[in-house]
Amino acid sequence: MEAGKGSSDLEQEVLSQGLCTSCGACVDICPYIKVVKDKVAVIEPCGLTEGKCYDFCPRTPTDIAALDKSVFGKPRADSSLGSYISIEMAQAKDSELRCRAQYGGVVSALMKYAMDTGEISNAVLTKPFDGALMPSSLVVEEGSEVRECAGSNYIASATLAKLNEATKQNRKSIGLVGIPCQVLALRKMQAAKHETGARGVKLVIGLFCTWALSYKGFYEFLKGKVDPSQIRRIDIPPPPANIMVVETATGDVRFSLDEVRKFIKPTCNVCYDMTSEFADISVGMVEGIQDWNTLIVRTPAGKKFIDKAKKAGVINTVPLEQTRLEHLKEASSIKKKRAVDAIRKRTNDKGNLLYLRLSAQDKKKFL
Amino acid sequence: MVTLELNQPGKTVLMMGNEAIARGAIEAGVDFCAAYPGTPSTEIPESLARVAERFNIYVEWSTNEIVALEAATAASLAGLRALVAMKQNGMNVCSDFLMTINLSGTNGGLVLMACDDPSAISSSNEQDSRSYARYADLPLLEPADFQEAKDMTRWAFEISEKLGLPCIVRSVTRLSHSRGNVKLGELTEKKRTAKFEGVYISGAFVAAQHAALHQKLEQVREDFESSKFNFYVGPKKAKCVIVTCGSGWLYSREAVAALGLEGRVGILKIGTTWPLPEKFIVEHLKNVTEILMVEEVDPFLEQNIKVLLAERAKTLGPIEVYGAKSGHRPPYGEMNQDKVAKALASIKGLKTKARDGKYVEKAKELLLSYIPIRMPTFCTGCPHRASMWAIKAALKLDGRDGFVTGDIGCYSLGAGPAGYFQLKTIQCMGAGIGMATGFGKLDKFGFNQPVIAVCGDSTFYHAAIPALINARVNNSNVLMVVLDNGGTAMTGFQPHPGSGCDACGRPAPTVEIENICKAIGVEVRVRDPFEISQAIHDIYELLQGEGTRVMIFRRRCFRIEAKEKLQQKYFVDQSKCIGDDCGCARFCSRVFNCPGIIWDAEAQKAKIDEMVCTGCGVCATLCPGGAIMVRGAAS
Repeated sequence: MEAGKGSSDLEQEVLSQGLCTSCGACVDICPYIKVVKDKVAVIEPCGLTEGKCYDFCPRTPTDIAALDKSVFGKPRADSSLGSYISIEMAQAKDSELRCRAQYGGVVSALMKYAMDTGEISNAVLTKPFDGALMPSSLVVEEGSEVRECAGSNYIASATLAKLNEATKQNRKSIGLVGIPCQVLALRKMQAAKHETGARGVKLVIGLFCTWALSYKGFYEFLKGKVDPSQIRRIDIPPPPANIMVVETATGDVRFSLDEVRKFIKPTCNVCYDMTSEFADISVGMVEGIQDWNTLIVRTPAGKKFIDKAKKAGVINTVPLEQTRLEHLKEASSIKKKRAVDAIRKRTNDKGNLLYLRLSAQDKKKFL
Repeated sequence: MVTLELNQPGKTVLMMGNEAIARGAIEAGVDFCAAYPGTPSTEIPESLARVAERFNIYVEWSTNEIVALEAATAASLAGLRALVAMKQNGMNVCSDFLMTINLSGTNGGLVLMACDDPSAISSSNEQDSRSYARYADLPLLEPADFQEAKDMTRWAFEISEKLGLPCIVRSVTRLSHSRGNVKLGELTEKKRTAKFEGVYISGAFVAAQHAALHQKLEQVREDFESSKFNFYVGPKKAKCVIVTCGSGWLYSREAVAALGLEGRVGILKIGTTWPLPEKFIVEHLKNVTEILMVEEVDPFLEQNIKVLLAERAKTLGPIEVYGAKSGHRPPYGEMNQDKVAKALASIKGLKTKARDGKYVEKAKELLLSYIPIRMPTFCTGCPHRASMWAIKAALKLDGRDGFVTGDIGCYSLGAGPAGYFQLKTIQCMGAGIGMATGFGKLDKFGFNQPVIAVCGDSTFYHAAIPALINARVNNSNVLMVVLDNGGTAMTGFQPHPGSGCDACGRPAPTVEIENICKAIGVEVRVRDPFEISQAIHDIYELLQGEGTRVMIFRRRCFRIEAKEKLQQKYFVDQSKCIGDDCGCARFCSRVFNCPGIIWDAEAQKAKIDEMVCTGCGVCATLCPGGAIMVRGAAS
């Protein structure tokens, strides 16, 4: 981490470069940085040369190896998937939950279980549709509220702004579900020299993510096709379909993924992390299987919790076939390579990888 | 019993200039008063409203000045005596009507009080209203002190009735807002009944009407020749004379005395400045070789006197005229005794100074020794501060270099640090939305900046509605933000059509801003600006839309709210405020900049000035440390 940078640098290096992920880490820790929908802005320069906003951002210099050390206590064993203890296929036992969820319902089931058993007392989650296209993050205190947050909509919500709000209210024992950039920022918050409430986050479930869409462009695009307030679910069926399906109360609309790709946030092109490498547990799809998840258990705390959940019968697990594991690793490696390529295109300088501080080994592999 | 009601002729009382004007109207038996609030005229209708019941006067706050003049003219046409009061800008608003009613004429006494604001102490310009008298061929009176303010107002009704024309009386801020001795006159018993007769149409025989108007002017000129408001003081056969009017009279007297020139310099004081009492003036300038013109703002009297001197050059011979044209007096800003003395000294080759040259510096030093330096800002608890912050934040989040067109009201301060420099244009009433309407149609020329027009509630009724309709029908891309604080706040919280009460405090029907907007067919939202996150969100969202949209930020003016009920007491928990260790960089006291929050230098933490804080609580919402809280509430 580079010391001595503040909101002006954040504006210059991240916001004005289109690199903001809208994670919300910098929002509402001071009165100067605000978010509306997925748009973050520094309202007024605070005049300080050093700030948490800069330190927490997932797109300011991030030493991957140092973060591996602070989260896992050791270097990563797997350069494409990060540190992990186990990888399996999993599915929520609750079939209704599976139905609401994007894939196997594992995230919702685990969060609900964590709340019901007192593992955590607050959860920072995201409702995929809140009466309109824009997702909304919220803090829930009851396991029964988790259900509402099942599913995904491919737009980033400033989840960590909600976390900041929660910690400002002195909430502790928090669980959080986030996409890779949010999990990365959270770990930076927890590792910061400043005492932050983020250390009260005890359980982090990371989601797989290949990209997110920018709200404004996607909204304008969708508005012409469906009534955004009627959207119930958005899905991208497995390749080679190359389509997006938007389900509404009055029927489904399908269009080519190529039409949507132009709304991908530019920052997603420089993202190095597909599988939420710094989460306690990472959950994503299993390519080709609709109602199962890939479940990566990464930290000992994550393992302990998953073991309990399995014992309690909250989720079913089966081994992940070797070919599927290889496929996952390959997908993750491709994302890393593409990110490094995109960064090099931006900087035009082999030595300047923007925010990424990679180990020599990773450099060798992906540069 | 208020002074205005005293029926003790000959008694001397202390009165504000505007009260003296109101008293003059009462002594004239005024029946009807219509006005739109505007500094420095506001206390005239307010004074009349206080005694409206006692003297059976109808007093109204009209939606704007032209409506006020039209309504008052109706009373005049029905045979009543009517008064209209307005600030100088109001003259422009009512001038369209003025330029025809002069032709068709009036019946009962109709007096138009034009209160000018030299130096624009509370105005967006310092225009000199007197040119309207010359422009519209109407009689003009200029009171020079408090007694004249009363007496001339009373006389103006008689002039108006005699001529069948409105009579204009010009006051200035120093006269309207200072106090002086006034000897009361008699209160007359009114016996008038309203009845309309006759035809008042301008346009049918304009040239004939115009000719008649000029005849009327010549007729009143004769009356002016013998007016007691025109007089000369000083040595007989003085070679040097100050010719002055209005507020210039007292400044001139003081300057002559300060320079010890009473024996050498005379003062010719004119109270009836249009049309000029020419014979009277010529008579007093017969032996004169030098004239110093003293008046405020335009060289109105100066130019008219110069024309007269040219016409009578044979009689008067060559006379040197010093004034605005010669550079002896600036044709802008307020006059004072010093400026007159300086001009006089330079003409007479005197070195004497009227006062210590370091007077201004010394006065400043003394003042600053016990008055803190403070930028012009919104009051504590002012809803506009929150609204401006919401606008600033939303424009920044939007990121397309949007800007705000401003209008006339307390929120005009938004052009400065109080409103985070958000307002980029300020002109006249209603110009914010009017100009925004044009900006919103520039897209085909590559213009892509969002435009926000801010407008006060009173301004909305006064002048913004036609522009909003224009925006709507031309599908202009404009976001109008109505800053609705429940009254005409800047002039002292007079009611407006949305307030639910009339000028005398009686309940009145309301006209809701949102209903007007809905009728116009634009998208409208209403929000309390103190719900600041939501306010930012709303503005941002509306900025993403197209066409004409309206956001109403509704929150009652806190000066009024605080007077009406006890507010919550806020304080800074200094154990929670971590001062400069916080990332906020003294946001509350430095950036949000409410006078109710101060920096406690000793503790190096923020502090609420409880004497000043009105308890709005917005800072508590914005404080990142949650250190600002309500006294007594559990933390």
